[in-house]
Amino acid sequence: MLKATLRSFLAHKGRLALSMLAVVLSVAFVAGTLMFTDTIGSTFDRLFRSTSADVSITAHNDVAGRNDQNFSGTVPTVPASLIPQVAHIPGVAGVSGRVAMAGIVLTDAKNKDIGAIGGAPTIGINWSPGPNSPVDLTSGVAPSGDGQAVVDADTVSKHHLVLGQQLHVIGATGGFPVRLSGIATFNTTNPGATLVFLDTATAQRKLLGHDGVFTSVDLTAAKGVSNEQLRDRVAPVVGSAYDVKTAEQTAKDAAQTLGTFLSVIKDALLGFAGIAVLVGVSLILNTFSMLVAQRTRELGLMRALGASREQVNRSVLVEAALLGLIGSTLGLFLGVGLALGLIKLIARGGMVLKGSQLAVHWPTVVAAYAVGIIATTVSAYLPARRASRISPMAALREADTPGRGAPLRIRAVVGLVVLAVSAGLLVGAATDKDLGQAGILLGAGVLLSLVGLIIVGPVLATPVIRLVGGWFPRVFGPVGTLSQRNALRNPRRTSATASALMIGLALVASLSVVGSSMAASFDAQIDKTIGADLIVQNSTGLPFPDEVADTVQATPGVGLVVRGQGTRGALVAADGTQDRTVVVGTGPGLDKVVRIEMRSGTVAAGTAPGHAMIGSNYADAHRLHLGSPVTILFQSGKAGTLTVGGIDVTDTNPGGLADEPVVASSTLRQYVPGALDDIVFVNVAPGASKEQVKSALTTALAKDPQVQVRDQTDYKKLVRGQIDLLLNLVYGLLALAIIIAILGVVNTLALSVIERTREIGLLRAIGLGRAQLRRMVRLEAVVIALFGAVLGLGLGLGWGLAAQRLLAAKGLQSLAIPWSTIIAVVIGAAVVGLLAALGPALRASRLDVLDAIAHE
Amino acid sequence: MAASGQPAARAVGLSKAYGSGDTAVLALDHVDVEIDGGRFTAIMGPSGSGKSTLMHCLAGLDKPTGGEVWVGDTELSRLGDKALTRLRRDRVGFVFQAFNLLPTLTAEENITLPGDIAGRRTDPAWLRQVVETLNLGDRLRHRPHELSGGQQQRVAVARALAARPQLIFADEPTGNLDSRSGAEVLGFLRRSVDELGQTVVMVTHDPNAASFADLVLFLADGRIVDRLEGPTADAVLERMRRFDVRGGGPVAQPAPDAD
Repeated sequence: MLKATLRSFLAHKGRLALSMLAVVLSVAFVAGTLMFTDTIGSTFDRLFRSTSADVSITAHNDVAGRNDQNFSGTVPTVPASLIPQVAHIPGVAGVSGRVAMAGIVLTDAKNKDIGAIGGAPTIGINWSPGPNSPVDLTSGVAPSGDGQAVVDADTVSKHHLVLGQQLHVIGATGGFPVRLSGIATFNTTNPGATLVFLDTATAQRKLLGHDGVFTSVDLTAAKGVSNEQLRDRVAPVVGSAYDVKTAEQTAKDAAQTLGTFLSVIKDALLGFAGIAVLVGVSLILNTFSMLVAQRTRELGLMRALGASREQVNRSVLVEAALLGLIGSTLGLFLGVGLALGLIKLIARGGMVLKGSQLAVHWPTVVAAYAVGIIATTVSAYLPARRASRISPMAALREADTPGRGAPLRIRAVVGLVVLAVSAGLLVGAATDKDLGQAGILLGAGVLLSLVGLIIVGPVLATPVIRLVGGWFPRVFGPVGTLSQRNALRNPRRTSATASALMIGLALVASLSVVGSSMAASFDAQIDKTIGADLIVQNSTGLPFPDEVADTVQATPGVGLVVRGQGTRGALVAADGTQDRTVVVGTGPGLDKVVRIEMRSGTVAAGTAPGHAMIGSNYADAHRLHLGSPVTILFQSGKAGTLTVGGIDVTDTNPGGLADEPVVASSTLRQYVPGALDDIVFVNVAPGASKEQVKSALTTALAKDPQVQVRDQTDYKKLVRGQIDLLLNLVYGLLALAIIIAILGVVNTLALSVIERTREIGLLRAIGLGRAQLRRMVRLEAVVIALFGAVLGLGLGLGWGLAAQRLLAAKGLQSLAIPWSTIIAVVIGAAVVGLLAALGPALRASRLDVLDAIAHE
Repeated sequence: MAASGQPAARAVGLSKAYGSGDTAVLALDHVDVEIDGGRFTAIMGPSGSGKSTLMHCLAGLDKPTGGEVWVGDTELSRLGDKALTRLRRDRVGFVFQAFNLLPTLTAEENITLPGDIAGRRTDPAWLRQVVETLNLGDRLRHRPHELSGGQQQRVAVARALAARPQLIFADEPTGNLDSRSGAEVLGFLRRSVDELGQTVVMVTHDPNAASFADLVLFLADGRIVDRLEGPTADAVLERMRRFDVRGGGPVAQPAPDAD
């Protein structure tokens, strides 16, 4: 029996090729994702290990995160005076102070930003060579004095820098010119950070704004002293004001932060891989159903010759498992290629990984085979069961056109019930006030409506195809009639083929609804809340030195300038509980540039020195009124008690201000000295033209390429661009599912052509031309694809609508249906159908007429 | 559509070989034949005699390896696929043994299909006449699976007639039918010749079927070995017996239901 199975597998290898391809692609996606994220993880692990000192001492700070230099440009520091205190501790072989400040800007002489891109940091570091240094000076000399810098080799080669070249570094205290004195090369893979090394005094003064402080003090353990032992000796000496960590702890902490981010990426990618697998499963199920139907006589013969039901059943399942095994193996290899491709791709986005360090861990291999084999056997289960039910009599019967099948009434009833329940769930999701609960309802509704539509698909096939293909006979004559009727011939098969496409397109449709609703809602919110004519901001949200605001202020035509700062902090309740939040600092006139709806008090009173403006939600929860004291713990670790001068309405105000306490910049700086601006609002002076001021500002700020001047239109464009980018990314990831769905259409058509060989022969005999035959197959594919598109768009619009209603409470108040995307999807589906039909149509038209007529 | 004087179709030195070299099998060996217009010609012979190949070559379904084939004044051996397709569509009608109809089309749509493919409207008066002659009036809206075998073959005959081709080729048209339905279908083919002036060429190995024809051509080992004008079933049977003895070939199975 096994031999018969293997023979059959080999005999049908052509017909199984596309199913195999589906397995290969799905497995490759899963394996590629795992290898890719593992490679990122291991690259950073190596980096963190190589950059961590044996033991490092940092200032203890509950409020600011350890690596949180992005807020306000200030960072907890360690005084240099700590170094002599720890240097004499037994087991300390070396001590050095380290300054490392992320979020600086490096430009060339033409003010072009040449720092890291794509979220990787540009880090300013003091040059302190030592045995543990992750870099070696490979060219030039170490920096000395405030006019020299060493830059990492990757950045140097990327921007073709030469020794002695004039560069510009912009740190917390502003910009200063340097000359490239040397080039430093990483001894592990640098995943994309730009490193700028300055001499220690310059780093302290220009990057931290203070002499005699470091961001950490790094200790090297003497031979025979473990990092743990050294830590335990140092900790009591420096006291509780400092954190003392071993290299392992430092690396682990860093990896943890990255890990959270990585696992989000991994889960997202695996989610898309899962969709691809789902579509692949439906393709394989369809293939095996068709093969079993076509082999009814053969299987009947096996039964007649004495094969048991179990044997027939098993033979189909073994065939499927074999398919899975081979597909997974190929998929694993393709996965390596995919991971390498992804590595190349993100290199362009700024993250540099080395293909030679590709991480292939055993769980990846296990997952690949599990996905491949389970997906194929599960999807072959139903066809296998059907195969085992074939009676031995089938061998003797005239082979009839397979698959007319049982009536669809039960299907219709079950499908409609499931759809009704899912509609209820979606409506529930749209109307539920509890966001968490609504999310669960939405998820269940999405899943159930998908299942329901797949069940009811064959019932819908007839009316929908009559609708979308109704004009075919009129336009394409008998070829149109034939193609439309062929598509309707086996509604189960057509619908199974189309539903694979439906899944991908439903996701495209729903996400495009959410995306364009997001853009529309954001537009509406900008119109409602932003009063400023112009806004100066870093597009990554990083803070910038005071010189930016000074430049703005000095530009002709500028009227009111309001500077904003954001720092980490916490609201401390009377009972001592802390609510972590961002504490916003603002100059006077905030209400002139941002429209804030107040519950009580005024913006001016709330942002007067010594006062605070808080959100109504917090005020209600803690019974705070105008004049109540409110305690705020600032990023520096200092706490201050301020007077509530204004309460704004949390729910209607922009997210950035509503929940967060706002204080005067001067007050903020009392507690967080050196807090930098991260936004500057500008109103043009009376009589000045907005456009002119904007271009004047842009010119004046050319030396600070990290900040941009934008008006409201620019902001809308920016947000729209970001949403489009995200959508395109998602569409790109969905492309795989859609490609597999196309394979499904190809597969169905190819098998249908085989099944209808005699019919094709007859048509050719009575005078159907080759071109007409090809058109017939193509039109059938178009009809199937359009059917999938109609169902997918309907489903996706439903999902998108429910999601928009659900998120309305979170600010997604405007519903926007992206008609252009929807029309594009319909046209795209038709094109997909045409492409899918290319092979099968060619094959059909090349059939020999006489062979075809004689075909069994 | 009888063309007087000129034969409706003819073959000159027609050969057809399958395979090549030593393993080549000669299905047709320099056959010369003329099919007269307005007559009902039957081609008979045992299995492997080449009778189907002869018909396929005459109908432009198969390419001869030697000689010439003419349909009317068109020589087929030099025509490409497009021209042959057009010839089959416009000038030839087919009735096969089985699987004559497209399952997705109704009887009427099947009948008008060749015309529809060509983008020609079938003359409604003619269509009515054909349908009436074949007694299909109440079956036009049915799909093939709703028709009996005899009805299906009648629809196939109607399709062949509807386009008014120069020639109708029927390949064992009654092979899958019981004798009563078979006789009915043959009767209609006969009437199409007598009443509608059609030219019909039929391949069969059933002497009863052959007796409906005006002329029977006997084929053996790729050659025309005999002809019989105005045949009766007994005369055909007799000739075949004689020919079997003389030719020493395989005994023809005169079973009407044989495949």
